Formats: sequence, structure tokens, C-alpha cells
Amino acid sequence: MKIRASKAERLADEELMPRIGEKDPDAFEVFYDRHGGVAYSLAYRIVGERGAAEDVVQEAFISIWRSGARYDRARGSVRSWMLGIVRNRAIDFLRSKAGRAPKLDFDDAAVLEHRPSAELTDAEALRRETTHELRGALGELPGEQAKVIELAYFGGFSHSEIATMLEVPLGTVKGRMRLGLEKIRGELAGGLA
Amino acid sequence: MNETEHDRRRDDIAAYLLGALEPGEAAELERHVAGCAECEEELRRLRPAVQVLPETVERLEAPPALRGRLMEQVRSEAAGSQGASAPRRAPRWRFGLRPLAGLAALALIVAAIGGYAIRDGGSGDGPKTTTVVTGHSPGVTAEMVRQGETGTLRLANLHQLPSGKVLQAWVQRGKQVVSAKALFIPNSDGTATATIDGMKGVTTVMITAEPRGGSVQPTSDPIVSVSIPN
Repeated sequence: MKIRASKAERLADEELMPRIGEKDPDAFEVFYDRHGGVAYSLAYRIVGERGAAEDVVQEAFISIWRSGARYDRARGSVRSWMLGIVRNRAIDFLRSKAGRAPKLDFDDAAVLEHRPSAELTDAEALRRETTHELRGALGELPGEQAKVIELAYFGGFSHSEIATMLEVPLGTVKGRMRLGLEKIRGELAGGLA
Repeated sequence: MNETEHDRRRDDIAAYLLGALEPGEAAELERHVAGCAECEEELRRLRPAVQVLPETVERLEAPPALRGRLMEQVRSEAAGSQGASAPRRAPRWRFGLRPLAGLAALALIVAAIGGYAIRDGGSGDGPKTTTVVTGHSPGVTAEMVRQGETGTLRLANLHQLPSGKVLQAWVQRGKQVVSAKALFIPNSDGTATATIDGMKGVTTVMITAEPRGGSVQPTSDPIVSVSIPN
């Protein structure tokens, strides 16, 4: 078993997916070990409760386990695909909780902190460095652009809900979203990605 | 191509990528993009900007117990023993709800729509399982586990709800029906779980589809109705 797991560790995510589709638990374990941390972090960022974040991650990964063959590499990396599933599950959770405001912390400096860890692999260290730079790039966005992106992506609000909430025209919300994504895209093109 | 229509759709691309369009709007955009090379390129160009957003969140360590539960379920399913021996942990789609202790020890009785025999699977102070299910959605199954004042209702084979609708749990005591203060939506696989507090004196638990935010009184026929013997 360990030999198989060891082999799976050497496979790229895109190579793991067909094995997961064939119900190889070792491939799935490697996949979870690579991405479970960021999945949990994203789920917690959206739902704001540890227990609920665990449920979101478990639901998302079981969904991937059962439908791994549905990954379409034309839509991006496996990691992005997986995080999209986690995000959707987390937003579903938020929407199912009537009367509870999503966790939004525009001014929470902790979100932008770089949390050091005693044991980092080179790959993880590189990823964290990139993450740090990305946070900086987001921090460079004008506040109104960052806000609509935050409300939509992490809060699960529709553009019309955001327009009502911020008391601005719908077209303004759309414009801010587009300009914000353009700037992030520009940063990516400038060498962050 | 209608330029106004094209411009309008193009303006929606960022909102679409951020998941901020209503389902109908998203479907319209997808139809437009399928026939518009310019918008398809715009979608492709901006998508990475959204895909990096989750990478910016504060990084936390996932609890080791989560990994353990997940791999237990995965290996169980891989071995073909799903449902029979695997103590599959119920997702905690909780709404101020308490976890159930010793869930693996519970005997579960599953009944299908149409009215199965009433059973009380518990003994002494242990958890009790009860199920009699009737309802108006053929194929939906339910299992109810009661432990003390708390009941856990698990549903399967649910249809996805229309936009703006949620499932709401109700409890009946005598002739009075009140909200159980549990709102939830089906998972993508048609399952759902709701935990209901204050089960004392409850004779029936019902689930209805209600507008987002819930209702004061049921506004539709029950999808399932579970009789609770006391």
C-alpha cells in the first residue's frame, strides 16, 4: 500500500484525477494531503465556523472522490477546480443559513497576515510567498473594487444584492468587478503567477 | 450580432466569474459566450484573476480528524462496503445544533416514502430511532435518529430546489405546528441533514420547501412527514 502511495506522490494532480476516477484511495489521499489545507482555509474564510468548514471540505472532497472523472482540464488546474467546488459548497452553506450574515472582514488585518510555519516544504514555501504577494496585490486594489469582489466571491452575494447593499447602481457594481479583476489579471501577467 | 446585447453580456463576465449572477443570467451569458469568440476570450483572460482569490486567504491547518474521517469514508467506499459497515459521519449542516455523541453506535432505520412500520429502535436511555414517512415526493427517503431532546433527520433522493427556495423543518406537538428553526438545502447528490432540538412531545417532523429565509407557517405541502412515537 505504501509503495502505491509513494508512487502516487510523484504524480501531478492531472495524473491523479484519472486514478481517483478509478477509485484509488491512495491517489485520493495524496490529493487531499496536497490541497486539504487550502480547501479548509477557504471554507473557513467563507463560513466562519470551524465545524461548518470541516463539513464543507468533507462534502467537497467526497464529491470529488465520487466524480473525479468529471474534471475538465480546459477549465483550469485541478487545484482551481477543487477550490471552486469548495467555494460553491461553502456559499451553499451560507445561503442555507437564514438570518446569518456571511463572514466579511474587510478590515481584518489578520486576513492579510503571513502566518509562518516551522516546517515548510519548498513547494509550500513558494506557494506561501506567492500567496503573500497576491494578498499584497489585492491590497493594492481601490477599496470599492476589493469590496465588491469580496462580497461576491467570499460572501456569495449577487451583483444586484451588492448594488442594493452598497446603494450604488448595478452598472457601477459590474464596472468595479471588472476593473478589479483586470487589475489582478495585470498583476498576474506581471509575474506573480 | 446585436451590439447592445453583446455589450451587456460582456459587462456581466466579471460578475459571472465571481459567481455573482443569478442562475438565469448565468445561463444566458453561457449561451452568449458559446457563440461569441470575443466574450469567450474575455472569459478565458479574466478567469485566472478569480482563480487566485482562494489562494489569498489566511492559511490554516486542516484538523487531522477531518483527514481521518474523510479517508475512512473513502477507503470504505473503495472497498465496496459503503453504507453497510462504514460509520459514515453525517455532515453537520447545523443551525445552532449539537453534535450527537456515539453516532456510530446508533441503529438506523431507513424507510421509504409511503409509510413503513413504526419502530422504536432504542432501549433504556440510549438513542432511539423512529421512522414513519409519508409525503408528496416519491422516491425521497428519510431516516430519523433521536437521542434525548435532539433528533437528526437525514434525507436522500431530494430534488434540487428552485432558486430562492430552502427546505424548512417543522415539528408538530398535538395540533400545533411550529418551525423547528432548521433551514437547509439539498446537497448536490440529493442528500440533506437537519438536526432538530426540542423533540419532547413532538409527534411529527415535517419538511417543506419555503422561500429563502424561511416562513412563519408552512406554505406548501410537506415533502416528507415523519411520525415520531413517544
